[in-house]
Amino acid sequence: MQWDNTVSNDEKPNEKARAIRARQRAIGRELRRMYDDVAQEPIPDDFLDLLRKIDDAEDVRAGKKVS
Amino acid sequence: MAASSPMRQHVDTGKDSGDGDFKNELLALIPFLRAFARSLTGNQEGADDLAQETLVKAWQSRATFIPGTNLKAWLFTILRNQFYSDRRRAWRQAPWDQDAAERIPGGGEDQVFSAQLSDTARALRVLSDEQREALILVGAGGFSYEDAAAICKCAVGTVKSRVARARKALMEILDGDDSLEGVTRPAEGDAAREIMAQLDRLAPAPNESGEPGGKRRPK
Repeated sequence: MQWDNTVSNDEKPNEKARAIRARQRAIGRELRRMYDDVAQEPIPDDFLDLLRKIDDAEDVRAGKKVS
Repeated sequence: MAASSPMRQHVDTGKDSGDGDFKNELLALIPFLRAFARSLTGNQEGADDLAQETLVKAWQSRATFIPGTNLKAWLFTILRNQFYSDRRRAWRQAPWDQDAAERIPGGGEDQVFSAQLSDTARALRVLSDEQREALILVGAGGFSYEDAAAICKCAVGTVKSRVARARKALMEILDGDDSLEGVTRPAEGDAAREIMAQLDRLAPAPNESGEPGGKRRPK
């Protein structure tokens, strides 16, 4: 295979597979870290405002009675 | 996920109805909507707009949510639909223009953002949409293949193969060279060639498209 040109042929397949799995786990951790970094940010105020306003807009539009 | 402070917030809705409960459930899931949106759009401002549109859509459609089912997956489905429909609209309305984007105040944010991003985050941008969303849902969002398949409207086996190909491609991008500039060098592997082909298809500038796009596989 082309990308193996520089790799010696006597490299053990098991070691290579292990190295790939370890690398995949590291990339997986990095992906989760990126995602979690955003998920752990405080919710911006405009989101909270939106949730409050959404309610008022709905009440006005539907003429709903607030009980 | 561990409870973090944003999720402990509550919106005072002024009523004790089920709507108030639904709203608080939405509130608790906002952090994940923002995270998923960020991974789809690759930039903060666009992502937060998308997450807000999703909240509005979800609120308007709340009667169609079946209590006891997975609200997070339901919301992610709405967000994903919104993302693709916004983008289709944007493409119809304004062909991408890099110079114009740079003149818009804040339009350079993407570039600053990418410069600050880790190699992994930048490599993620090179994946196809299908591979990226599958990998994020399963690999970062903690969704089962089944839930991811429902969100992406495809078969479970399709999600599995997309995730596997995404992982392989990411590794090739990241380890093919120290930097992502490496993807513009002569491709060294099959995945790299596929990426090159994707980049060619995505490239806005019309250039020679006669070249067969990296579909060859080593035997």
